[in-house]
Amino acid sequence: MVSFAARFEDPPLVWGVGRVTVEHEVVPWPVSSADIDDEAESLAPRFAALGLGDGGLVLLVSLLSQAIHVVPFEQAAGRLGARYSSADATPFDAFRTVALTRQLTPAVVLGIDTRVCHGIEGLGRELGDVFASVGAVVAADADAARRLASAGLQVARWLRLGPTSAVSTPTDDALVYDDARWRVDEEDGALVLTNLVPRLTGCDRFRTGVRGRVLGPGRLALEP
Amino acid sequence: MTTLDPTRRYFSPEIETKPRAEIERQRDERLLGDLLPWAYERSALIRETWDAAGVRPDDLRSIDDFREQAPFIDKDAIRAFRDRHHDPYGGLLCLDPDDASLKNVFSAIFSTSGTTGDPTPAPYAGRGPSFLVREFWELGCRPGDHFLHCLFTFRGPGIHDTVRGVGATPVFVDHQPEDVPQLFRFSRELRPTGWYTLSGPLLMMIEAAAAETGEDLEETFRSYSGVVFAGEPIGPRARARVESWGLELFIQTSLGDVGAATECGQHDGCHYWEDTAFIEHLAPDGVTPAGDGQRGELVSTTLIDKIAPLVRYRSDDIVRRTTEPCACGRTHGRIWPLGRKGDEVVVDGVSVLPGDVWGAIESIPETEAGLFQVVRDRREMDALRLRVGYATPGPRGLSDLSSRVTDAVHEAVGLEPVVELVEHDVLLRQGPPHKIPRVTPG
Repeated sequence: MVSFAARFEDPPLVWGVGRVTVEHEVVPWPVSSADIDDEAESLAPRFAALGLGDGGLVLLVSLLSQAIHVVPFEQAAGRLGARYSSADATPFDAFRTVALTRQLTPAVVLGIDTRVCHGIEGLGRELGDVFASVGAVVAADADAARRLASAGLQVARWLRLGPTSAVSTPTDDALVYDDARWRVDEEDGALVLTNLVPRLTGCDRFRTGVRGRVLGPGRLALEP
Repeated sequence: MTTLDPTRRYFSPEIETKPRAEIERQRDERLLGDLLPWAYERSALIRETWDAAGVRPDDLRSIDDFREQAPFIDKDAIRAFRDRHHDPYGGLLCLDPDDASLKNVFSAIFSTSGTTGDPTPAPYAGRGPSFLVREFWELGCRPGDHFLHCLFTFRGPGIHDTVRGVGATPVFVDHQPEDVPQLFRFSRELRPTGWYTLSGPLLMMIEAAAAETGEDLEETFRSYSGVVFAGEPIGPRARARVESWGLELFIQTSLGDVGAATECGQHDGCHYWEDTAFIEHLAPDGVTPAGDGQRGELVSTTLIDKIAPLVRYRSDDIVRRTTEPCACGRTHGRIWPLGRKGDEVVVDGVSVLPGDVWGAIESIPETEAGLFQVVRDRREMDALRLRVGYATPGPRGLSDLSSRVTDAVHEAVGLEPVVELVEHDVLLRQGPPHKIPRVTPG
């Protein structure tokens, strides 16, 4: 194999500038390489709870602007001995979600949103048929979750909560986050986030814009 | 601690300026001594194709033997193998995905674009920067800079790892109309120096957003030292518009599915890296090598992908190619993309590629976005039929607009086209975010 660069011989201090969206307002969010690694470690149990394991495959459906949330999922798959594949969360690229689900038979598909559902239906395909073989389909918004559930699928939810993620399972509606790394509180019916371990961009009761309730340690529910 | 000297001219000077004889010696060694035996031994498609041709890697003693005897493959051969054997990788895979010892190497499965059919899964075993570090350095991006990562898709870490490979920080922006305000904002606030990629549709989105908000694009984009334009060719009007914003464009084109070729600061052809791929281009008979500087079909063979190697892969791309050294000091080959073989129509003996009518369509104000398709049922057509997108019907209506487009195209190619006018959105809906299909069946 050819090595093109002396691998990260001069890596930047900031791994990347992603974003956190709070009530339609975009907040630029720089993260470090250590943040990405730690989030990956933190998210591996979420995947395990969805049934992803050694030798399995997860299809991640997302956008580039979601990189700081999605790359940790890519790496979390590797921590479980699983692989990942990718498609874009756009109506146009829905054909790829359909094709890769058929060809690679993923155990988990994460990130299906309303636009992707529309894209799949626009291809004349039924959601229930496309994802019939998938163990858990993880929706990225409430509308997609409803559509997928009405198609008779095993549906979970993915919530981008500030710079971290919370994920439910098909058998438990509670969105689970890592309470060893993050503290979530309620403030006026909305969730605020504080980091308990070092992060390049800190959160101190950061208003996430998510309306919901803390059900118990590491467990959340969204307001309908 | 900084280890990359920001003043060095090339990212990998010893590779980028290697003498031609040394480039070819190394190529022959990799191709004949390593890649071919590996691929023949492990890739079911390569073995089947070579056995059918009665050729074995051991038979080939020189690059001339390879040129004379090695059989070709193409996209159809890969798809046919896939369907025949129910193998999603089309017989290209050289490693066993279930091999436990490869678990930490073989981390992901990406896929080809799928614009001409079902996407083919492409196993990924890389980690770290790709050869594009050389291009990002050439753009002027240096350690400590911000770099706008605005590729039309998010499939894997290849690009953002490469940005970090030059010591820069990627800034993630979607190649979508709704994210143009963030593209403006991040450009103003973080002052990136590199941008990967800009495309025709994104250019339209930027123009539309700026017209609505009054964004001063020259000021917003003043920090960029280079922008990679990719997806499809750029017409003269669009290039002039982008350059009026103070942006320097570096055109990038695909290298037969084994990589990419990108312009340098001389803007005299797109460089490809001969330590990564062996590139041939063939005359219209499909067998004879086309001469240096001539037009021919690009045929690619990887020298580095040992996971799913393409060997003598007919790309369908028509290019002009030279191995003459570039004025920038690099010694590797260059190509000029001209179009796709499958896009050519022949009317009354005249060959027309989309690029031949592009400038004419752009020259009309109402169709200056250059959104058009050639309607093609077969290569030989009775008439040149074009579907052309318009922004407004113009002051004298669609019939007048149609006449003006017809006259401009006639002037450019000597054929009177049959023009169907459609609104821009009709065409934009048909493509991925960064391009539209330039040829459509009738």
